[in-house]
Amino acid sequence: MGSRHEFGFLIFISRNLTNRPYRNIVTIFAFALIAATLFSSYYLTAGARQSLDTGMSRMGADILVVPEDYVSSGEAVILIGQPNSFFFGDSGFEKISRIQGVSKASPQIYIATLFASCCAAPVQMIAIDQRNDFTVSPWLKQNKGVTLGKDDMIIGSSVIQNVGNDLIFYGHTFHVVGILEKTGTGIDNSVFTRFEDAYVMADESSLKAVQKLVIPPGMVSAVLVKVDPGILPASVASEIQKQVPGTKIITPNGLLNAVNGQLGAVTRLLYGSTLAVTIVSVPLLGFISAMVASERKKEIAIIRALGASKNYVVKMMLAESFALSISGGFIGIFAAIIILVGFQDFISSSLKIPFIIPSLVSILAGGGSALLFSIVVGGISSLWPAVRIIRSEPYETIRRGES
Amino acid sequence: MIKASGLTKAFRTHSTEVLAVDCAHVEVKPGEFVLILGRSGSGKSTFLGMLAGLIRPTTGSVRIEGIEISNLSEDNIAELRAKKIGFVFQFSGLIPTLTALENVMLPTLFYKNGPGSRISAVELLRKVGMSEREDAYPRTLSSGEMKRVAIARALINKPALLIADEPTGDLDVDTEYEIMELFSLLNKEGMTIIMVTHNPDLVKYATRTYGMHKGKIQQNIGTVSFRKDQRE
Repeated sequence: MGSRHEFGFLIFISRNLTNRPYRNIVTIFAFALIAATLFSSYYLTAGARQSLDTGMSRMGADILVVPEDYVSSGEAVILIGQPNSFFFGDSGFEKISRIQGVSKASPQIYIATLFASCCAAPVQMIAIDQRNDFTVSPWLKQNKGVTLGKDDMIIGSSVIQNVGNDLIFYGHTFHVVGILEKTGTGIDNSVFTRFEDAYVMADESSLKAVQKLVIPPGMVSAVLVKVDPGILPASVASEIQKQVPGTKIITPNGLLNAVNGQLGAVTRLLYGSTLAVTIVSVPLLGFISAMVASERKKEIAIIRALGASKNYVVKMMLAESFALSISGGFIGIFAAIIILVGFQDFISSSLKIPFIIPSLVSILAGGGSALLFSIVVGGISSLWPAVRIIRSEPYETIRRGES
Repeated sequence: MIKASGLTKAFRTHSTEVLAVDCAHVEVKPGEFVLILGRSGSGKSTFLGMLAGLIRPTTGSVRIEGIEISNLSEDNIAELRAKKIGFVFQFSGLIPTLTALENVMLPTLFYKNGPGSRISAVELLRKVGMSEREDAYPRTLSSGEMKRVAIARALINKPALLIADEPTGDLDVDTEYEIMELFSLLNKEGMTIIMVTHNPDLVKYATRTYGMHKGKIQQNIGTVSFRKDQRE
């Protein structure tokens, strides 16, 4: 019985590919490696940026003012939720509120907790002033029915507790009333409460906790600033530093730079790997392609003798290369996604970067770029052997093949 | 049908120039079975390559059904070959990754909207006695079977001309006979055939015979004169 399919270009290509499995597996692997390294670089950078955007949006601030010796501690609180306690004079807050261009200012107190029953490690407690707050208040507005009352607490998504549970910090019991969405930043590892409750907790700590907590009166840890629409945060930041000595400014761009600094080594390594893999792969793929072309010289000469044009031969060789690069690209991207998603928390904590799974659009853009790059590499590596082969005299090749 | 005038092909090796074909004139009319006899290195395959537009002549012209092929681009010559010429090589020239049926259908890829189809490929395989082996890959076929598939492939686009370069060169006597009978049958059905061979015993199948010696072509030679020529 004959095979029932019609015979066409695609079947011809697929026959050429499936009948040379070992060499094609090596080629696909090379393309997979290129696509995986490139996609991983993109994915990590995009995830960190998105996480930072989400985190900053949750904080709601254009500028974060911290004591000048605690810039890196302030960044660590926001980026990875590394628990820290630091303070500066509350008078700074009053001054900041009055600076031209400042729309809103909100003080916060950062308290590093002791080992708590909720968590394997200390968490960052952030006490807010409800009169001025714009970090938790917008979330409360979105979540009707939830209020932050006496001894209530709203927790980050990484604090493994449920609404309704009680949490004890420094011997003071708090009641969980809400859980924030995941941001990938330090906010996920933080708990939010009111100024008043934090002060009570500090007062009680000498009796109830193993370690006394001191919140110096009239001191805050940071002031979050929202600037007026149309005003450049940089100009307000510069004014704050002038008028409130002893403070430093943290901005989203500054945080992004800090993240990029931390990510830099990794992305440089990944992009460097992509470059190295590509530099090694292009000649390797070209060599494989040339080997295949040399082996198939007679076959291609026959095809040309049967009426195939030079364009047809080039199209055929490029199509084979594209099929391999697309397959390799998809396999590489798929494998990278499995590894990156599977080890997301490990990667994030190892690199000390905020991280959240990038949006689907972002993943598609990264995947598309990696795939396109593989296809271009495939095209370049197969073009030269294709051009070389069509330059040869087909009949001479056929005659030589006969002897 | 096909007319070659003053065809010359010179190859340059180091400082010397070798004339593989020296001012050859041949005219083949529709329905003829033309045999070109010559020993190895006489230039007959180069001559055949120029007739099919696979080798560019140094001088001279080839007209196929009135079309001067030296005026055409390589892609246009390829298109002309796909439409008007069927080619059978000394070795089978089958593509190893394709089945017998797919090999027969291969030239249809180069002739869009041509007469070739899966049905006609099956029919041609039946005609050359290979209908039972249409799904077989070339490595599983004997030399004679491969040659039959190659002949079916040469006919798929219903060409006006069949060109065969030593098609029985690697075959045993019995298989050679079967293949030549097949060519003879095709010729009787109206197919124009040009074949080159070194075997003078095949002259009996031809309607006209040329001899080729040191690049020069002689018209209507007899078998005896060719044998004498071979002994030189």
